[in-house]
Amino acid sequence: MKAARAALILLGVGTVVGGAVQLLTTQRTDQIVGVAIWILGVIVVHDAVLSPIVLFVSLAMRRAGKRVPWAVLGLIEVALVIGAVVSLFVVPELFAQAKSPANPTILTGDYGLRLVVLWVTLIVVAAAGSMVYLLRNRQKVRESTSQT
Amino acid sequence: MLWFASGMRRLLFLARAGLVSPARTPRRAVVLGRLLGGAFLLCFATGLVSHFIQHPAAWMGFPNQPFWIYQLNQGVHVATGILCIPLILGKLWTVYPDLFSYPPVRSIGQLLERGSIAVFVGSSLLQLVIGVLNIFQFLPLPFYFLQVHYALSFVIIGSLAIHIGVKLPVISRHWRRGRPEGVLEAYLDDEDDTERSHRQDDRLDPTYASPTRGLTGRVMTFIDSTPPPPAKVSRRTVIAAVGLSAVTLVGTTVGQTLTPLDSVNFFGPRKKGDGPQGVPINRTSKQADVRTSALDPAWVLTVVGAADRRVLDLAALRAMPQTTVRLPIACVEGWSQMANWRGVRLAELIALVGESDVPVRLRSLEERGPYKTTTMDANFVSDPTTLVALELNGETLDLEHGYPARIIAPGRPGVLQTKWLSIVEVIR
Repeated sequence: MKAARAALILLGVGTVVGGAVQLLTTQRTDQIVGVAIWILGVIVVHDAVLSPIVLFVSLAMRRAGKRVPWAVLGLIEVALVIGAVVSLFVVPELFAQAKSPANPTILTGDYGLRLVVLWVTLIVVAAAGSMVYLLRNRQKVRESTSQT
Repeated sequence: MLWFASGMRRLLFLARAGLVSPARTPRRAVVLGRLLGGAFLLCFATGLVSHFIQHPAAWMGFPNQPFWIYQLNQGVHVATGILCIPLILGKLWTVYPDLFSYPPVRSIGQLLERGSIAVFVGSSLLQLVIGVLNIFQFLPLPFYFLQVHYALSFVIIGSLAIHIGVKLPVISRHWRRGRPEGVLEAYLDDEDDTERSHRQDDRLDPTYASPTRGLTGRVMTFIDSTPPPPAKVSRRTVIAAVGLSAVTLVGTTVGQTLTPLDSVNFFGPRKKGDGPQGVPINRTSKQADVRTSALDPAWVLTVVGAADRRVLDLAALRAMPQTTVRLPIACVEGWSQMANWRGVRLAELIALVGESDVPVRLRSLEERGPYKTTTMDANFVSDPTTLVALELNGETLDLEHGYPARIIAPGRPGVLQTKWLSIVEVIR
């Protein structure tokens, strides 16, 4: 295990250095600074913007857990994540489309409308799934009370 | 200073407390890490293949068949890149509490580890962001996409090796299901004894662990009064969220290359059949600045051999035996389009100057641009499906597709399928 770890770390450091050299030799100084700023930027956007939003929403959901069954909350959370992940891809796509692409065969779809349809579908599916779960559970509760 | 340290400690404690979840365990991190690591390696391998097909070293050779090999390579590259988006977000979600470990730095070794994680995470996220922006052909970047995407891939794979090396004990402990899910490092007490007893005191002391005054107090009370979900539901939710968002995102984009999913290609930047003669394009005649030269009736194709040279106009090319092939245009950006091509076999063309089974250099009418000249190895030149195409899907080649003549060969990226062909020159 010790030898494997050392080998992996050494190999890794060598490869990182190789990549760094590649970066330093193909980009001008201002471009290297640009890469550094963008790396820092994506970390900040993820760690200090997106993650706290996710944390806040999941705390709010947990709080609702006092009244709403966990399975229903889980269903809503899954729908939210799917919508959010696809939006992360499609929103920049809409920006790119608005900047008039280089030729008319790039970004031809009506992505905004499709994203709205996706969100509506997710909401409908999550709502329907929750209803089914709640109805079934109510029946179970009734059955168990009638048996006693 | 002491006040600052205790404030920071309280803040980090608060963050970790808020992030407690039965789904945030080393086992989850290993499960997602395996998938993400595999996806990264696949992306890296296919990326290298694509890079070297375009920039081969002298000793390298590539197969000309099966004809779909490049289409597959690049389709996989872009689809796994997109797949990495939900996977990396899920992985980072799992280990988020580790960002708030206290104390932030315990030793030189741990500082280096945290630094390497920062490089790993930062370059991975940037790689995915610029990769996605590139398939949108939207690059407001202060650096060159191509070289940075290439260089970052090595930084990422190297960081991955370091990360696996550092975490190997945890990975092997949680590789198989069945053991307890474990506890994230951020929740472990590996400080010395005095520190530990101090921490335990802290926990017992309600004014520390859950201060009731001030903003932190209110947040802490809020967290304390919110029950964590049951472990089973929580874990299933995470698996379902990552899995289904991956299926949705990849499923609604991969149709730009995978024909059976074309009908659900809702978000792919390219759509099959969109473009002149049903084929999308990348470089336009306007960008290439060939509108005058390509439409010039005096256009000729020059074939240069070692000892002989032939000059053929369009009528002469049309008078030669015509071959029909079905081959895809497969772009580095991950889309592809099958089409019917008709024209003269490249092998028959160079036979006119007494050559066979030799590599060639192909020149376009284009005067600028990185692909105005490309080379083709002998195995591609000899392939009976490699054509100098004059027709596309039953019509005379559209100007945007390289009128009057273009190259179409199996297993090559679109950028090497030279449009507006001008000279075919045998390399000796």
